[in-house]
Amino acid sequence: MKIVKKAQAGTMQSSDLMVFLEPAETLTVTIESTVVKQFGALIRAKVDEVLEKHGIESGEVRITDRGALDYAIEARLETAIMRATEG
Amino acid sequence: MVTSLLSTDDLGQARALVEASGLRFEAPYDDLVGVFEAGRLVAVGARQGRVLKMLAVAPAHQGGTLLDEVVTELVGRGYQDGVDSFFVFTSPALVPGFEALNFNLLVASGTTALLEYGDGLRRYLSRYAKQIRAGNNGAIVANCNPFTLGHRYLIEQAAAAVDQLFLFVVREERSLFPFGARLRMVQEGTADLGNVVVLDTSWYAVSSITFPTYFLKGGDPGGAIQMELDLLLFARRIAPHFHVKTRFVGSEPWCGTTAAYNEAMHRILPPLDVAVQEIERKSAMDRPISASRVRDMLLNGELEGIAELVPVSTLDFLLSSEGIKIWVKGESK
Repeated sequence: MKIVKKAQAGTMQSSDLMVFLEPAETLTVTIESTVVKQFGALIRAKVDEVLEKHGIESGEVRITDRGALDYAIEARLETAIMRATEG
Repeated sequence: MVTSLLSTDDLGQARALVEASGLRFEAPYDDLVGVFEAGRLVAVGARQGRVLKMLAVAPAHQGGTLLDEVVTELVGRGYQDGVDSFFVFTSPALVPGFEALNFNLLVASGTTALLEYGDGLRRYLSRYAKQIRAGNNGAIVANCNPFTLGHRYLIEQAAAAVDQLFLFVVREERSLFPFGARLRMVQEGTADLGNVVVLDTSWYAVSSITFPTYFLKGGDPGGAIQMELDLLLFARRIAPHFHVKTRFVGSEPWCGTTAAYNEAMHRILPPLDVAVQEIERKSAMDRPISASRVRDMLLNGELEGIAELVPVSTLDFLLSSEGIKIWVKGESK
């Protein structure tokens, strides 16, 4: 799927995350997290996995996380992808 | 649940809560939202452009998630409105609360802290990583509305005194000439100067965030604090990244706001290891050259004298169909 418009999902509350997606020529992923030192690599791996699952090859992906569990990351990112790709 | 505050009763409660928290209720805003509990407003917040303001939570309800909910709503709505970075001014004591929400502290003075949601400053600085060489570098921040021989003179003087000169063109769209046009005039007018690098200020210098009164006529008393934040941000975060040791500025004989800004520069920058060098303005026809003088002449249709005040590259632009459209539109205002 292709990111064709801006979309956002999630909240800023503890144990949750905000996902921002925007169309772009190339794929860039930036992750900010209050637990980036401990879990940055795991968050990144989960994000890459979900992007790949949906065939997202370009777009700007920004994530600000407050210690969300991996299935929350997956759910929020998928929600944002649905919003960013729907006609 | 976070809802828009629209009715007269909503606004009355919002004003009371904001003022009870020691803040000022400041219109205008793009969004004003809050959370009610049993008919009473217990949390409030507003967004104006990129700035979140009037964030307050009733004392009995602090420590929960209300602030998070309000900020989430404001950021979500702002993002849908096309805003991609957000700032908040708050008291230094409240900085940790915002840092927990993934806000990053940009700069703090005694009474005010400026935070940004996300890592925009870091991304902005890393954009220019390739163009930076260590050395005795200098910087100029200028609006160039439009680019004049006065700017050119200041840049020549500064460039001759440093290894690399970073010329920050004000990004903000509050001027007669749009940013793209100003940037092009600067690039064309300095193309022959090998050690001058032209870049944009983004939101981090002389912007509606760091220095809103620059764009208002007459200034306002609150502007002094923000002027200070603008300069602290420059000295602490921007100058070190570019190895800037000196900030160059033209003397300001007329505009009160700019003169006050220059004065604040002399006071704030040197203690933070950024020297300030004020260069006497170049004159033409016995009067200092300034962009406002050029604009006045354009708007009054005095086109003959302008060639004395601007380089050929600027003149070409001003007289191009694109340039004429801009100032003819200004004339009708």
